[in-house]
Amino acid sequence: MVLDALRERLRDDDGPAVVVEGLTETFRLYHEKPSGLKEMLYRFRRPSYTDFNALENVTFTVEQGEAVGVVGHNGSGKSTLLKVLARILPPDEGTVQTRGRVASLLELGAGFHGDLTGRENIFLNGAILGLPRSEIQTRFDEIVDFSGVGPFLDTAVRNYSSGMYVRLGFAIAVTVDPDVLLVDEVLSVGDAEFQHRSLERMREFRDEGKTLLVVSHDLDAIESLCRRVIVLDRGRVAFDGAVGQGLAMYRQLTSPVTGDDEVDPRGRHRSVEVLGVTLTDRGGEPVRTVEPGRQLLLRVRLRAEDDLEACSVGLRVEGRDGDDLYETHASWNGLGVGPLRSGQEATVEVRLTANLLAGHHRLRPVVTDPSARFPWAFAEPVDLEVQATPGATGRVDLGASFSVVDGPVPARRDISVDRDAKGDGVG
Amino acid sequence: MNPLRHKLVDLWQARELLRQFVAKELKIRYKNSALGFLWSLLTPALMTVVFTALFGFAFQLDVDDYAAFFLSGYLLWQFFQTSSQSSITAIVGNGALIKKVYFPREVLPLSMVFAQLTHFLLAMLVLSPVLIAYRGWGVLLHLPAALAVVVIMTIFTSGMAMIWAGANVPFRDLQELIVVIFLVWFYATPVLYPPALLEKSDSATVRALAAITELNPMSWFVELFRSATFGQVRLADGGGGDISEATFVTTPPTLPDPELFAIATAFSLLVFAVGYVFFNRLALTFAKEV
Repeated sequence: MVLDALRERLRDDDGPAVVVEGLTETFRLYHEKPSGLKEMLYRFRRPSYTDFNALENVTFTVEQGEAVGVVGHNGSGKSTLLKVLARILPPDEGTVQTRGRVASLLELGAGFHGDLTGRENIFLNGAILGLPRSEIQTRFDEIVDFSGVGPFLDTAVRNYSSGMYVRLGFAIAVTVDPDVLLVDEVLSVGDAEFQHRSLERMREFRDEGKTLLVVSHDLDAIESLCRRVIVLDRGRVAFDGAVGQGLAMYRQLTSPVTGDDEVDPRGRHRSVEVLGVTLTDRGGEPVRTVEPGRQLLLRVRLRAEDDLEACSVGLRVEGRDGDDLYETHASWNGLGVGPLRSGQEATVEVRLTANLLAGHHRLRPVVTDPSARFPWAFAEPVDLEVQATPGATGRVDLGASFSVVDGPVPARRDISVDRDAKGDGVG
Repeated sequence: MNPLRHKLVDLWQARELLRQFVAKELKIRYKNSALGFLWSLLTPALMTVVFTALFGFAFQLDVDDYAAFFLSGYLLWQFFQTSSQSSITAIVGNGALIKKVYFPREVLPLSMVFAQLTHFLLAMLVLSPVLIAYRGWGVLLHLPAALAVVVIMTIFTSGMAMIWAGANVPFRDLQELIVVIFLVWFYATPVLYPPALLEKSDSATVRALAAITELNPMSWFVELFRSATFGQVRLADGGGGDISEATFVTTPPTLPDPELFAIATAFSLLVFAVGYVFFNRLALTFAKEV
């Protein structure tokens, strides 16, 4: 049989460490969970539910000694994938084969019991991770050293700080000596020093020739650990390959115009050059500092470096902390640019109103593909200073105005003290 | 390797985990209560006082050494009941662990059984002087037989523990129902009364009840265990007549009926096998349902 042949191959030392074929994992989301007597009695009323595929037809192979990062949005199926590999969940469709001893670090200190002491929990947690008692005994001192909980070894862990808790959990976890190590977001807990140490330990694992699968939102960590990355998007493998390219694509998936790479995942590299950006008022006078509510005109001049059918121009506005205040694209408004011949130029005008309040703002124009998902060229950002204005504070000018519609209004002089304090009146 | 053998290898490799879970159960119980281990003695001791007052003195059930009679049945019953009631939440109460780590899931209900077994054996150790005082040194002589019954009782209880723990995942009402189930089951098991009591009656209803207790596997285990630790209880006269006039003769501690022992052993193994298969079928989706 094919499966037996596959197993045979996996037993072979030269076989791949992980083989996933056509893996689909389905979760049944009940609108009302039928888990009680009442529901059993009313069996004729079928419970209503929706099937949701957390993973859909996922196929990949990991060779021995490979370190593979798995990235994706929340809910893209990363954790589900690790759980299937760790045998916590059975595959609903498809097959998963692993070779050698598999250990998973999906949670540090899993199964710690608050009433037990640190010492007791080391043995309990070790057993949960599948470590033989002798192994824990041999490495007991090492675990205590690494975690730094020595003086509190005989204190119940419920009295531990969260940092101590996590450090102890990690110290035990890294004692496992698997052939395949699955790690889920473990790197994201703890302080900077702890993160550094855990990253070090992962590197050691990798350098010892172990197979490593790491799920993390920390892209820098993934980049430094892994040469290969799998990008999951809504349960499907969106990318599987070199880490630089994969992370660039993931960044684009996260936020269409914030990536700094110009990689189109479909492999077509478009080149468009932004020749210049000007910000003026409606009369065409260049502006850098405006009062709130000013009408503005942004012009983006671009040139196609290659023949292209269509592209789009977009704009993102950042506040003083670099946070997104606003984003828009020509294509979202039903407008595309193109077709353009190689070398042909085009200018796009963006009319906007500075409904902003006092502060520094940065306008970031971008040229993208027609769907506004993949950036093709970034323009130099344009700074916009909005002047302080009386009457409101905050970030955006929602244009509030006040009137007393029922009740008396004091004479203007009565509120003058307050007006002086604020600089000017509400008017 | 076939899947079952694979599973059993897994289970064997998880014996350290089983040991740790049992140790955890025991430690937590001792750490969180002032009386700690004493509770495993106090419960049967207090129950013995209450039921001896009620049946031994108030209703004057004519059984020799009623306190020892009750205790010899109740200790075994308590092991079964506490194991069942603690294992029923073994899966639903450990959702966080089940979602994050793989290990053979049956370790959870089994650890509950072994923790209760420890309590049971300690209680036996401490309370056996009471039995010896009432029933003589024959209790000690038949200790190996009593332990053999404890072994098959543990197999049966383990099978039931897996059924309770597994069934409670898709059917959560079970953990409420189990209180009622055990109340009924307790009275359907001859712990308070000798099974011969029901044989005494002419009444068809009581006869029907006698048939039920005879089919109740817990009756077999209690009967077997009681033979070795107390003795057998028979009607002094033949059947028939008024139940309240029943008089009994008791034998000293004696070897349990081998035929009944064989049936109970076979049944225990069957329940364990059924429980194991049933539990493992459900276990596949535990991580999605807890």
